[in-house]
Amino acid sequence: MTPASTLSQNDIVWARAQHPQVFNVKGKRIVFALIWAVIIAYLIGSLWYFDIGRFASASDRAWRLISAMFVWRDIETWQFGSIYTAIAQTLAMAFLGTLLGSIAALFIGFLAARTTMPIPFVRQIVRRILDVFRGVDQLVWGLVFVRAVGLGPLAGVLAIFISDMGTLSKLYSEALENIDRKQVEGVRATGAGPIKVMRYGYLPQVLPVFISQSLYFFESSTRSATILGLVGAGGVGMIIIERFRANYFDQVTFVVLNVLVCVYAIDWISKKIRERYIGEQAH
Amino acid sequence: MLKLDRLTKSFKNRNAVNAISLDIPEGQMVGIIGRSGAGKSTLLRMLNRLAEPTGGSIIIDGRDITALKGRDLLAWRATCAMVFQQFNLVGRLDVITNVMTGRLYHHNFLASMLQLFTDEDRARAIRALDRLGMAHTALQQADTLSGGQMQRVAIARALVQEPRFLLADEPIASLDPLNAKIVMDALRTINQDDGITVICNLHTLDTARAYCDRIIGLADGNLVFDGAPEALTEAKAREIYGAESAEAFSEGLTSTTLDFPIPAAAMAAAQPEYAMGLAR
Amino acid sequence: MSYTDIAGAGAPQQPNPTDQFEAHRKQMRREKLAMNLLFGALFIVTLAISIHVSRFYPDRLAAGIPRIFEYFGTIMPHLEWQVLFEGRNEAGRATPGSLAFWFADLELYLRLIIETIFMALTATMLGAAAAFLLCFPAAKNLAPNSAIFWISRRFMELCRGVPEILYALILVFAVGIGPIAGVIAIAIHTAGALGKLFAEVNENASLRPVEGIKSVGGNWFEQMRYGVVPQVLPNFTSYTLLRFEINVRASSIVGFVGAGGIGSELNRVISLYSDDRVVAVLILIVLTVTLIDLLSEQLRFYFIGKENLK
Repeated sequence: MTPASTLSQNDIVWARAQHPQVFNVKGKRIVFALIWAVIIAYLIGSLWYFDIGRFASASDRAWRLISAMFVWRDIETWQFGSIYTAIAQTLAMAFLGTLLGSIAALFIGFLAARTTMPIPFVRQIVRRILDVFRGVDQLVWGLVFVRAVGLGPLAGVLAIFISDMGTLSKLYSEALENIDRKQVEGVRATGAGPIKVMRYGYLPQVLPVFISQSLYFFESSTRSATILGLVGAGGVGMIIIERFRANYFDQVTFVVLNVLVCVYAIDWISKKIRERYIGEQAH
Repeated sequence: MLKLDRLTKSFKNRNAVNAISLDIPEGQMVGIIGRSGAGKSTLLRMLNRLAEPTGGSIIIDGRDITALKGRDLLAWRATCAMVFQQFNLVGRLDVITNVMTGRLYHHNFLASMLQLFTDEDRARAIRALDRLGMAHTALQQADTLSGGQMQRVAIARALVQEPRFLLADEPIASLDPLNAKIVMDALRTINQDDGITVICNLHTLDTARAYCDRIIGLADGNLVFDGAPEALTEAKAREIYGAESAEAFSEGLTSTTLDFPIPAAAMAAAQPEYAMGLAR
Repeated sequence: MSYTDIAGAGAPQQPNPTDQFEAHRKQMRREKLAMNLLFGALFIVTLAISIHVSRFYPDRLAAGIPRIFEYFGTIMPHLEWQVLFEGRNEAGRATPGSLAFWFADLELYLRLIIETIFMALTATMLGAAAAFLLCFPAAKNLAPNSAIFWISRRFMELCRGVPEILYALILVFAVGIGPIAGVIAIAIHTAGALGKLFAEVNENASLRPVEGIKSVGGNWFEQMRYGVVPQVLPNFTSYTLLRFEINVRASSIVGFVGAGGIGSELNRVISLYSDDRVVAVLILIVLTVTLIDLLSEQLRFYFIGKENLK
């Protein structure tokens, strides 16, 4: 019917002669195949090295674990009081840790920002210390503080405090570096001293950003605070590990589900607050 | 013969296309005209089932297109190529691959997932691009092309589908007059040389008059005109384009090159792409 | 001359605008004060409850803080400049005060750190592959139907809602101590977290190419492969690299519950020894994480930069 429907070998030869580079796909295909071969070889090799075969042999045990997690027994003996106290303790740890971290960051942020800290040496020292606070994972801080001050929520609060302080200081200092200089000049022009310049020139501009970021960190600290208990740093994680070690897997499932609901609720509330009072600016 | 029988598309409280019945013999070049919102686009999109009809049927070779499912539906779409106002190319792929996607229906799953096209596909694509004068751009990334070039690539993609029908939904509404002419000439050539039935939504009357064998006028989803271009009187055209155009209606003003008499602002609001097209 | 005089005798008598402004201002101040008081009270109550439930009392804090400094004193290395670079002697013993003494188990640490990086790499690849498969049905605009959309969304939420270390805990119980539990745990979490990000990228992708592929008779997979993937791939790559950085951190701690990597060694030295080895391992972890961050950042710039060039 249409001339296009018949394609002879000659047509291919003609097209190849006209545009040889279009038909030159061999090199590209080899590179493509090689990349995928390397990726797949790596995956198979690493999984073999990590002994993936254990999943096959452990299936029986895994199955018993899974069924124990989802068949809930003896619900009346679960001590709900201690579960919800621990969840409340987790929230309290996150709240205190983030609050203390934010207060500390309010001062350290000014020390680490180029706009407010004219001495490069001090700035660099402060920033490197912050790097250490951030570089060590919160759970590691938890473990360290458990060794230092003993089991319990105090270690958890300190761990959240240290890692939130590290990250919030950095974010605060970045916010300070991104502000509108004109407003600061305006305050300075009235003859205000350095403290007053900070208070009236900088704070009003950055405070909404600070609050928004702190709220966001409260949210993420609630998430991370749930696992701090795994190393003994208080909160619901301690309940989880305790009951896991005692093979109460159904209770573990219940606690984890409760934590999930709680975390989603906090996320939602914090999102609403940020939308309502801070507007769409920086998270 | 493509037969539309009381084809209807209704939204909540109104019919975008209202019981349209048509017979389109193969090999015709049909222009569908009407104001924006008249249901042209919906009608065209129902023909290759990008939009689902809510009533009526489309019959070809004794088969009801509206009832097709699965592989049969894909086969129909492959036979019934479409060209869009915004070209709908994959901007991040090169031109030749864009054209070769027209062959996807004929590929097996693995070959299409791995982008393994054959030399035959390449030859077809080159030939189609060559017909449209675009073969030299074969290895360029598609989003580096101008609008007119993209539309020609899109037509090349339609050509390698080896379609029986070619639907063009406002193919020139986003193009400048020169490119609009190139694209319309290409569609006409395809219609005449390859015998492909071309059904083309057009915004402007003189384009339809210049290129089409037959003009179909839609107003508010209803068929208000169906006949040869010569039979379309000024009075009829006025009816199609609605009351707003009445006072200043003049054939010359509906040309591709000029904006539509009165409702241009209204149209720009309703259809931002139209405004962009005007601004070029 | 007052305002009403200008308006003329015919104008309706208006209250003095200054008074009106003052009244309005007072009311606004009152409202603001009430809000502030409310928030302040709420804050104090929350604070009090928090202090109470987490037993964060001043006396405990006062007792705790000296112990923190004490503890940090014990884990600091005691280096002596004269012997700092002294190697091991003939008997294979290192001199106390030298770097060789401090990092006596360096070989073990390095082996574990390499294991940690490979764990993160494997887990990221597995997780990203799963996320890639999940993200198309989980994008509102691309999902073939709402049931598949709902299922894939909930599945991803489950994957990322539970922290990786909890998955690791369960998997260690199921398959025993070793890195594979950590790898799979991190992969599961990555599938959920990356899947959500990927799905968001998909939801912002233009649907025009998808429609184009649909119109040539392409099935759903072909619409995704040709219409969406070329658009979103640079963003996917960038997110995956970012996730790799996060996963290196994660794989350095899943060892706490026995799921392999440097975390197991860190847990061991903290729990059993409390001496300078703690800081040695910590330094290595921080260095590794920083190095990976820098490398991955360069790679991401490469991908994003390429995108900006278009």
